[in-house]
Amino acid sequence: MGGGKPAASRRECGASPWGIERVSSVPVLELRGISKEFPGVKALDDVSFAIDAGEVHMLVGENGAGKSTLMKILCGAYRADRGNFFHKGQEVAMHGPADARKFGVAVIFQEFTLVPYLDIAQNIFLGREFSSTLPGLIDRSRIHAEAKRVLDSIGFDIDPRTPVHKLGVAQQQMVEIAKALSQNARILVMDEPTAALSDRETELLFAMIERLKRDGVGIIYISHRLSEVFALGDRITVMRDGRRIASLLPGETTPDKLVTLMVGREVDATYTRPDRPLPGKVVLEVKNLSATTGFSDVSLTVRAGEIVGLCGLVGSGRTEVARAIFGADRASAGEIRLNGEPIGSSPEDSVRRAVALIPESRKAQGLALARSVGDNIVLAGLRKLFPSRIYIPRRATKAARSVIDKLRIATPSPRRPVSALSGGNQQKVVIGKWLNANAQFYIFDEPTRGIDVGAKAEIFRLIDNLVHNGAGVLMISSEQIEIVHICDRAYVMRAGHIAGELSRDELTEANIVRLGMHQ
Amino acid sequence: MSTTAIPRSSRNRFAMSGDVMQMLYRVLALLLLGAVLTALSDVFFTTGNILNVLRQAALLFLMASGLTLVILTAGLDLSIGANVALSGCFAASVIKLTGSPWLGAGVGIGCGAAIGMANGVLVTALRIPSFVATYGMMWILTGVTYYYMGGETIHGFPPGFRQLGSGHLFGIPVPVYVMFVFLAIGVFFAQRTIWGQQIYAIGANPVAARLSGVPVERRLILVYVVSGAVAGLASLIVLARINSAQGDIGEELTLPAIAAVLVGGTSLFGGSGTVGGTLIGALLLTLVLNGMNLLQINSSWQPLATGIIILLAVWIDTRTRRIGE
Amino acid sequence: MTAQALTRARLTRVPGVAVALILLCVVFAAANPGFASPANIANILTQSTILLMLALPMTLIIMTEGLDLSIGAVLTLASIALAMTAISTGSPALGLLAALGVGACFGLANGVLVAVFDIPPFITTLGTLGIAQGLSLVVTDGQSVVGIPRSIELIYSGSLAGIPYAILFAALAYLVTHVLLYRTRFGTYVFALGGNREALKVAGISVRGMLIRVYMFGGLMAGFAALLLTARLNSAHPTAGIGMEFDSIAAIAVGGTSFERGNGWLFGTLLGVVTIGVLRNGLNLMAVPSSTQVACIGALVILALFIDGLRGEA
Repeated sequence: MGGGKPAASRRECGASPWGIERVSSVPVLELRGISKEFPGVKALDDVSFAIDAGEVHMLVGENGAGKSTLMKILCGAYRADRGNFFHKGQEVAMHGPADARKFGVAVIFQEFTLVPYLDIAQNIFLGREFSSTLPGLIDRSRIHAEAKRVLDSIGFDIDPRTPVHKLGVAQQQMVEIAKALSQNARILVMDEPTAALSDRETELLFAMIERLKRDGVGIIYISHRLSEVFALGDRITVMRDGRRIASLLPGETTPDKLVTLMVGREVDATYTRPDRPLPGKVVLEVKNLSATTGFSDVSLTVRAGEIVGLCGLVGSGRTEVARAIFGADRASAGEIRLNGEPIGSSPEDSVRRAVALIPESRKAQGLALARSVGDNIVLAGLRKLFPSRIYIPRRATKAARSVIDKLRIATPSPRRPVSALSGGNQQKVVIGKWLNANAQFYIFDEPTRGIDVGAKAEIFRLIDNLVHNGAGVLMISSEQIEIVHICDRAYVMRAGHIAGELSRDELTEANIVRLGMHQ
Repeated sequence: MSTTAIPRSSRNRFAMSGDVMQMLYRVLALLLLGAVLTALSDVFFTTGNILNVLRQAALLFLMASGLTLVILTAGLDLSIGANVALSGCFAASVIKLTGSPWLGAGVGIGCGAAIGMANGVLVTALRIPSFVATYGMMWILTGVTYYYMGGETIHGFPPGFRQLGSGHLFGIPVPVYVMFVFLAIGVFFAQRTIWGQQIYAIGANPVAARLSGVPVERRLILVYVVSGAVAGLASLIVLARINSAQGDIGEELTLPAIAAVLVGGTSLFGGSGTVGGTLIGALLLTLVLNGMNLLQINSSWQPLATGIIILLAVWIDTRTRRIGE
Repeated sequence: MTAQALTRARLTRVPGVAVALILLCVVFAAANPGFASPANIANILTQSTILLMLALPMTLIIMTEGLDLSIGAVLTLASIALAMTAISTGSPALGLLAALGVGACFGLANGVLVAVFDIPPFITTLGTLGIAQGLSLVVTDGQSVVGIPRSIELIYSGSLAGIPYAILFAALAYLVTHVLLYRTRFGTYVFALGGNREALKVAGISVRGMLIRVYMFGGLMAGFAALLLTARLNSAHPTAGIGMEFDSIAAIAVGGTSFERGNGWLFGTLLGVVTIGVLRNGLNLMAVPSSTQVACIGALVILALFIDGLRGEA
């Protein structure tokens, strides 16, 4: 693993504060001592980073390690609080995207900025079209010719007159790269470029990257796929908790060592896992479930009184599984049973069967922001609270107040618009909605996303209470440490399948990360 | 680190919610407008004129009440005017044919509801945006109505039926009583049934509503059916008032109904607004149009004024949303 | 994707509206011997010219995920302005200028309301529709404007080398729109407005400016179309253009341009306009009243949208 690199691409090492010294080349772009804080969280702490011409510099780390923040500062989208920038050895100012473009930085976005019904050439030159001799008109043939030139230079053999909407994701990505190069990018930032690609397409991408390297383009490559990191990388930088932990050569390390570097951290002591009674009977049973939304042949079980984790990388299919169980999406094959009876035909049915979904995005999917806290809390339980279908405000307010008190939601009144609450309290409202509906099975999708440390512990205690009262919980989280602390056991997903199941004893962060990544 | 709810005793029992304040402003605007018109015209504050205004406003409110539910779900029903025409003409035929106003009423309301159902299906099952679907429906209905009527007019309804439009009870026009009944029904439905709560939730965030177990499609069809049925009922009042039916009745009601709902405080983007507000909106709009008549302004300016009012209302709505975000 | 595959792909789109067109022609020709006569066909094409001039800019507006419900009313008002100006000044050229002025004003108003005030296009243009209609009624007091200079009337009835001026006009309009959409920056950006506005922002193009320009294009075309309308009627009437926006939306929907996705097919719009023209002509020959014709067109639109929805999900 990691061997077989030609001698010419190995660097000489020397002593330096960073562990690697560039003996013969000055980095094209260098960041030193970058720090960035957002309210309540230190995103980057004294990070230094450099990229050379013609190198592929891998950036690895868990979600939240600071990789995207660093890249956003690199391309001028964010401004660093502290730190210096150097272009080819000279100190320069980095105030915004225009500066970044001046230094040749281009980011290949995950959401492409391509216009579907224009062709490749038009997309590449959007805003920079060549004028023809006739006034007001554009020179289409020149645009196509120039586009062909750029496409050829990255080895992408395609007719530039092809409309973009006919292209697959991989090809669209190549167009984005061509677009960046046509604007004289010398540094490309790629964030998980192979996430949506097939093996064959990945090969093509790698061939193109080799070409770019030969042309002297520097590439910063963010990836969770360890095989790629070792196959393609000239240098690897590991980040964790906003700090640069290490910069290594692929030859100096192994995937296991990388994982350890990525994951090792101090334990959050404010939440301690209580003793739980033994789990009861099986509440949820999923067998060979598949759906066109992005997963296949998934099987899992959850018992009453148990918290079962569902882990894996973003995009591995966890949310899709959750939605299918809840009935929000149609499954194409397999079965789902709640207490022995089939379920999953519609959200309405699930709610009637006392199943709850706390969705990934509380603002977009979990709350009616324009409505009050009280209205949101009683929404799922309307039928249960008012069997006669007549709505009595006093009863609703009473029920809402009861939930507000129980969950300690910080709001002076149930009539406050829920948009005015903090993230943690909003999440409590979402959970409270289901408490009010007397749910017996809860599916949590990233319950503590965007919530500060104190509120996180509270949410965990809430979840504890739920299972203490006999509910079953399926919890999706990208924070491995949370899973390890709160769950009784966990399933790990990878690329739409269950990669494995971890029992209580096997439940460690390292195991989760290992199972979740491509080997 | 825990957070506790603020103790109840310190909550201001007299603090009024934002919604009530909004309603108050509108009532004030209404009174102000009334005062201005009284000053500008001797005729305004006479019994005859006020009763006329009330009768007009009642009809407008009726149309707008069903529409309010549709707009609460962030939808729109542009077909209500054409609905009145078709339902009214069918009802008129049935009354003439059978002599029974009740049968005619049933047909009128039923026809209106069926049209509403068609709209609902277009929006939910075919996923056509509501303004496109109801716009197309409007033209289709107009066409069918003209074809059915063949340019003719139906005259002369039984006097008992005519009471509905032109009759008085204790000096007050009958439509005003209908208005109050529908105000009660509308407010009750929107604020005191769980279906009303669900409709508000759908307007505020249809995704969250669906994920909370609200049967979104069924409720959407419901609001369009209600809007249609109400238009059917309104057609009866129109028939009773003008004692005839022809292909273009109700045409002039669509824009003012939309204006009434928007002026009444219901947001085009869904999720907020009240039927009571729509009543005030209907009164406000009728006063504006009545004022224009009294001041001898050419009636051709009325669609123009309505258009401008709608644009203003939407602009204010958009601005309020921005501030809220 | 080879060039051959691309052409094949384009051809698979023709069947939709062309099939409808051919079907209608066959049905009407069978039901009515007079339908297929050269005179009648010329008639259909001539009658369709005004609709085409409205449907062309409307296609662009719909591509930007917008709508212009006011275009029929603006056409009417522009034609009234043209007539009144031409009569009072005696100059058809000034009349045309007045019509263009009206169109430009409303186009600007629509564009600004949509782009700057963020009011949804259908509400904006519903409002300006009411305003334009109101103005038409007020200015003319509900009466027709007669006494149009002969030179204007000739525009509709005259011909050059056997081809009616009206058709030449429409062909010119089509050409101009085609060039605009497919060979200028403006047209390229129109695709982006509907397909991916972010792309424009990232490229530094003003989205607001573009939107305003698109609606103004609609207004100006309505101004030009007013010339044809006034010539055809040999007068200006406050209810003349009512419903034309509906026909134009119908033509575009039938022609294959969808309401989302930023895709537009100008030739499809042309076919759609001819289809609507054929439908109306055929129904006229069968003595079907105008309002029922509208009902048929409405049904056609819903069918087209339904099929479009199916195609989209495929």
